[in-house]
Amino acid sequence: MALPLMLLFVFPLIASFFFAARSIFDLAGWAALFIHPQLWSGLQLSLITGLVSASLSVLAALLIVSGLYQTKWWPRIPSQVGAMLAVPHLAMAIGLAFLIMPSGFIARGVAMFTGWQTPPNWISTHDPYGLALVASLVIKETPFLMWILVSILNREDVQRNFAGQRAAAVSLGHDMKSIWLRIFLPQILPKLIWPLLVVFTYAATVVDMALVIGPTQPPPFATIVWADINDADILYNARGAAGAVFLSLAVAGVAVLVWGLVKAFAMKREWLMTGPTARDIIRPSGPFSTSWRRAELLRGVHNFTLLHTSGEGGPKGRMRSLLARFLFSKVLLLYLLVTATLILLSFAILWPFPQLWPQTLSMAAWLRVWSNPSALITSLLVAGATTATAIAIIIAWLESQPQRRDKLILLLSASALGLPAILLTLGQYRAFLLLNLTGTATGLFLAHLIPVTAYMFIVLAAPYRSFDPRWRASASGLLCSVPKFLWTIKFPLLKAPLLAASAIGFAVSFGQYVPAQLIAAGRYSTLPMEAVTLTSGTNRPLTAAFALLLMAPPLLAFIAAAHFGKSRWSTA
Amino acid sequence: MIITRRALLKLTAFAPFIAGSAKAADWSVLTAEAKGQEVFFNAWAGADNINAYIAWAGEQVKTRYGVTLNHVKITDTAEVVKRVRDEVKVGKKDGSVDLVWINGENFHAMKTEKLLFGPFAETLPNFALVDTKGKPTTQHDFTEATEGLESPWGMAQFTFFGDGAKISAPPKSMIELAAFAKANPGRVTYPAPPDFHGTTFLKQVLIEVTPDRSVFAKPIDAAAFAELAKPCLAFLDEIRPVLWREGKQYPKSQSEVTQMVADGELLIGLTFNPNEPANLVAAGTLPKSTIAWQHAGGTIGNTHFVAIPSNAKAKAGAQVVANFLLSAEAQARKNDLKIWGDPTVLDVTKLSAEDAKLFTAAPAPGSVSIPGPAILEPHASFVALIESTWLSHFGNG
Repeated sequence: MALPLMLLFVFPLIASFFFAARSIFDLAGWAALFIHPQLWSGLQLSLITGLVSASLSVLAALLIVSGLYQTKWWPRIPSQVGAMLAVPHLAMAIGLAFLIMPSGFIARGVAMFTGWQTPPNWISTHDPYGLALVASLVIKETPFLMWILVSILNREDVQRNFAGQRAAAVSLGHDMKSIWLRIFLPQILPKLIWPLLVVFTYAATVVDMALVIGPTQPPPFATIVWADINDADILYNARGAAGAVFLSLAVAGVAVLVWGLVKAFAMKREWLMTGPTARDIIRPSGPFSTSWRRAELLRGVHNFTLLHTSGEGGPKGRMRSLLARFLFSKVLLLYLLVTATLILLSFAILWPFPQLWPQTLSMAAWLRVWSNPSALITSLLVAGATTATAIAIIIAWLESQPQRRDKLILLLSASALGLPAILLTLGQYRAFLLLNLTGTATGLFLAHLIPVTAYMFIVLAAPYRSFDPRWRASASGLLCSVPKFLWTIKFPLLKAPLLAASAIGFAVSFGQYVPAQLIAAGRYSTLPMEAVTLTSGTNRPLTAAFALLLMAPPLLAFIAAAHFGKSRWSTA
Repeated sequence: MIITRRALLKLTAFAPFIAGSAKAADWSVLTAEAKGQEVFFNAWAGADNINAYIAWAGEQVKTRYGVTLNHVKITDTAEVVKRVRDEVKVGKKDGSVDLVWINGENFHAMKTEKLLFGPFAETLPNFALVDTKGKPTTQHDFTEATEGLESPWGMAQFTFFGDGAKISAPPKSMIELAAFAKANPGRVTYPAPPDFHGTTFLKQVLIEVTPDRSVFAKPIDAAAFAELAKPCLAFLDEIRPVLWREGKQYPKSQSEVTQMVADGELLIGLTFNPNEPANLVAAGTLPKSTIAWQHAGGTIGNTHFVAIPSNAKAKAGAQVVANFLLSAEAQARKNDLKIWGDPTVLDVTKLSAEDAKLFTAAPAPGSVSIPGPAILEPHASFVALIESTWLSHFGNG
């Protein structure tokens, strides 16, 4: 049962790999690649923006999550983060660009005081170092990593373990920073590898955001590959295929290298095994005096009692929570600003610099959107069907297969997401062409199913596998049947991660542009396809309206997942 | 089941020979065959007014000929070239594309690779109305003879525009444009090739700085081009420091330039549709004070077409649509500034007085006041050389 279901995901994927791989043995393509004047400069740009944005995102996510863990703000995080996740990358880039560009909101605000009549010569968007691109990536990826972290930390087993470990560590004199660094992080990080890899790969291979806000000469390498693969010239196609493979190899190489470095330095056993450092503890009168020991004991007891009240103790703890709240609120504020900007842009036909308010407002874009809802309906149907199928595939797999086989699916999923989407879809397209699946609803469905299943498997595998086996043992001891056990005990207990994964799957399906374009051969029009074709034109109100429309259904899905995913007996 | 479907495929493979290219007498046979067919028209969909026009054409052919027109919205015609190529390669006879909006190197590629159905264009009844003498580009697409493999749809000529309130004397040549850019540093730029507007801007520079223009009619090799490009590169190097972002970054597309002109960040925009500025004024995207102009010595002009892939499923329906798009009514509506503003390929003097009246309109704000002569596109072999030379020169900031 599980194997044939998984084949729905695996077979089209393997076929895609095969056909993608076949197109790279074109030596002319490789030769052309290595004389491309922007190969090394573009590649360097891609890898650096990818690394910097992934590092900053994980840092910000950890700072916020550790600072707010088990505070009174904690229960509200999933719904807020979910809302942020729903904002499409492209919409974020368009909105952020309009905030910071020389004729954008901020410059207009400054112009009120300086009296500028023409936009300043700011190098804010399309800056040669890709800083604007990094910023928009960090703003998009931090909530994704926070979402993952929160869903790990909110698991019943993790909560139980961490509470115990924390109590023990506090009694040994560790403060919260030390507990996070030495105890929580080493347990969390291994679970973060795959999500981090996805974030890094995404950032290093992103095309749409890079086109809107990234450097242009040289551009990030992925946009060069994208242009080549879309060219009518066969030699350019071959160069694009070679470039896509080269970029994937480079991304994989850097990922392995960085992971090796992290393992070698940050997770050294000796460092983790040492007790709290001198800075971590209060020293009333010298480290080894009896008064120190007494103070330490008191502190431990104090922290232990705090654990059951507010959860954070001491001025340093409050500082950290303050910093976390500050960071988080700024990220939230940016999302609100970007959304507000998009709403305004969707009505603004003419809005010359330095006016603070559009000169001409019109409903035209929204009327146009509502007059033809078929793309929205297609997208909703495809997203619903793929998410439901993916969750069935994944549960069937996890229930029937031993855990060691997960590695295979994880690897496939990571490569499905790690390879530049355009290369994979190109292979997929060749395969589907032979199977006569192009231009069919089945083809469209299968093409969406691949990234949806890949994302959902990565998100769901770890929490699902860590489900306490004693539940099943007790249930079968009480003669409870397996389906009854699943429906009445396991699924309700895993409700939060299951719903979270579904919301992510839904959003991923909703954001797919390439499958509709290539596989459906335009027979079925989806919302992202409409949005992307429109961004190739001048109509900014319509582009903004579509960006908002792209954000709404995933937003509802995330809010629903956060709302219904709350555990009934949560005391926080 | 599979066998019968295969057999059917084989039958439809012979359809072109049954349908054939329409002679005038066969036209009624063709329209009869077209009835009930579904035509998938792959056309760039970046402009909503154009999409709306295609939707209108769809309604018309539905009521008049019973042909269903589906607009397959694409961002880049190269996607279609690749799709047809791939389908033909695997022997897919019931292709996904019935009609494609095309010109230039995409047509050149499809023609040389024999991916096009035809000749069909010049036997369409309405082709007789086309101004093939006054508008020679209706039969020569980037100097490549169309040979009836594509049917002309609209005319294009490279045009500049800006806000007349900010520009007192629009630059009427590349030399004047350079002076304008020096006087307004950071306010002029062009889209980076391979955006075709960017490539056309470079072609225009190349043509204006080259004394002997006969070289552009023939294919060119890399060595000859390197020599020819020297004065052009010198010109581009000269204006570079006064361009937007000091010529280190370039916008990726013409529409991005247009948006920056509307926002006030740039002073001069460029377009291939001489009526686009007027159309954007009518739509409210550009201010009423917008002016448009062409260089006094002329700017590059060409024609855009529709073509039918060799593996199209609804060839009869596609021809009926192509013929309808050439009708006086459809061309006049397309010509209307409030609808699209795409200049007609027809010879208005060949039309009945009633039809000809459809093409007269009062000058609108944003239209070109003194048109410059149209210059023929350089041979298609120039495009790749222009793009690669520019990239190695300006591609790394």
